[in-house]
Amino acid sequence: MRVLLMGHPNVGKSVFFNRLTGANIVESNYPGTTVDYTKGYMRQFGEDIEVIDVPGTFSLNPKDKAEEVAVKMLHDNKDAKIICVVDASKIERGLYLLLEIIEEGFPVVVALNMWDAATDKNIQIDAPKLEQILGVPVVPTVGISGEGISAVVSKLKDITPANAGAIVERMGGV
Amino acid sequence: MQKKLNEMAYGEEGVVLKIEEDLRQKIAGVGIRIGKKLKMMTKEPLKGPVVVMVDEAKTSLGLSVADKIIMEV
Repeated sequence: MRVLLMGHPNVGKSVFFNRLTGANIVESNYPGTTVDYTKGYMRQFGEDIEVIDVPGTFSLNPKDKAEEVAVKMLHDNKDAKIICVVDASKIERGLYLLLEIIEEGFPVVVALNMWDAATDKNIQIDAPKLEQILGVPVVPTVGISGEGISAVVSKLKDITPANAGAIVERMGGV
Repeated sequence: MQKKLNEMAYGEEGVVLKIEEDLRQKIAGVGIRIGKKLKMMTKEPLKGPVVVMVDEAKTSLGLSVADKIIMEV
């Protein structure tokens, strides 16, 4: 199994990567810190799972070099499973990329990261409802403390591609 | 009143009224769409980018992009 970590710049993908693989790649509080990809392994479900930390991208229409790398990584790994890391405190803008990935037919687990920061800002998100609308697992996480990470990993095993058309229907049409 | 995004003053808030067709997809990823409330944060000198607040996030936009977004302020 191969897992790609995807999401906007500066949402905590690399923190996730370190948590999953035990690696120690550079994290910093600047968007665009990861401009190339990093690969590591985690032992899970009795197999070695390859985890790839993909540079941050806002959409699948690349606007710069790092985004090009990200989109290419996704398209070169058609059989990969995706952990889409979304900043819970800025959830609306994160949903765009998530929907693009779902639309391309990839199996996705959503990590609503920085859940603590969202709570601090009094942002309340109904994760079960979101999960029901999207038809993919949605897990609140806090990357730096590790909260929710094991739940994300456990969801990886059984995920299948969601139906983008069905999401539109559940939202009551375009 | 309507004005272009790059004509907004520091701290001014407005709602996105129109975005040029070919630009819509390009900036949808940063969360800018018609009906969205934006606040002007910074305008960089020497025709540099503008920085706007979208929801809780600061986003910079090139002047040529900001020029194609019409705001209701």
